[in-house]
Amino acid sequence: MSVEIHIINERCKGCKICVEVCQADVLDIDEKPNTSGYNPPCVKTLEDCTICGLCEMLCPDFAIRVSCIEGENKQ
Amino acid sequence: MNKTEFTEGRHPVDTLLHTDSIPSEWCSGCGIGMVVNTFVQAVKKMDIDAENIHLVSSGISCTGKVDQYLNLKSHKLTNNNAIAYAADLAAKNPDIKVVLFLNDTDFIASNIDDFITAGKKRARIVVIYINNYIYRIFMEYKSLSQTPFLKSPSKDKIVSPFNIPHLAKSSGADYVARWTQLHIRRLMFSIEDALSTEGFSVIEVVAPCLMYYMNTENAGETIDRLGNYKETSIIKHREPTENLDLRNQREIIVGRFVWRDAD
Repeated sequence: MSVEIHIINERCKGCKICVEVCQADVLDIDEKPNTSGYNPPCVKTLEDCTICGLCEMLCPDFAIRVSCIEGENKQ
Repeated sequence: MNKTEFTEGRHPVDTLLHTDSIPSEWCSGCGIGMVVNTFVQAVKKMDIDAENIHLVSSGISCTGKVDQYLNLKSHKLTNNNAIAYAADLAAKNPDIKVVLFLNDTDFIASNIDDFITAGKKRARIVVIYINNYIYRIFMEYKSLSQTPFLKSPSKDKIVSPFNIPHLAKSSGADYVARWTQLHIRRLMFSIEDALSTEGFSVIEVVAPCLMYYMNTENAGETIDRLGNYKETSIIKHREPTENLDLRNQREIIVGRFVWRDAD
């Protein structure tokens, strides 16, 4: 089972909710701002992700999504 | 899993959104965005036909902008008519689900008689009431469900916030629940239950306005709030609705209070 976290940078408004709610500390703030001037999140340690999906559900702007592919191994 | 879901720059729920309008106009971290996201996730999870969901909103207030971002059939009305129109729409079209996103400005202050009538008639509508403690966008106009978050007790005449679940239950609602911004997954299940309930459903979501309550003691920025809700909110299903007042320095009782289908 592999996890993918996709962040749509151009939709982010920099509220940092996803970074704060993550219990496994997977996400971090990206230093590079998007075209609107907000700093979007970036993936720090993907292997810690527990696929709770809170970041996806709490994002007010549909900018982050967590996908889980079952039955496939990335390596 | 479908391969098309992994297209770069796309979200799985994009079919239900007006993607050109996103990011939304709401403040960064506003609770309305979270509730809209939850609603969309619930609709996607339920796998119901999006053609059968109609949004009704009135022209003013921040929640009136919800239909700009959702790719659903929407009806935009002038201020005082949202609930009455929605009740009629649902009565004339038995196949559709009517959903209203409301806040103080277009619900408590001006629509309360229609609300009670809709409850009495058991109109088949879902009211998602986002309680942001703001009336008519300015703090100068005191809201009927005024804030419990102010530091000092208000000197105005209206001091206690309005108890929406109690009003909804006494009007005869079939489903009444209250959640906060933090209980987002429980809110999603509530929206699913409300959409599948044949009757009048009311869901209150506590999400104080960011602009005016950022500097108050118990509110703060969204991130601090989510932490505060962990401590201050307490889940009590089937709690008698007269105990559900929102007061300063007291816990927020959340949960599902009425569900006539399950009782």
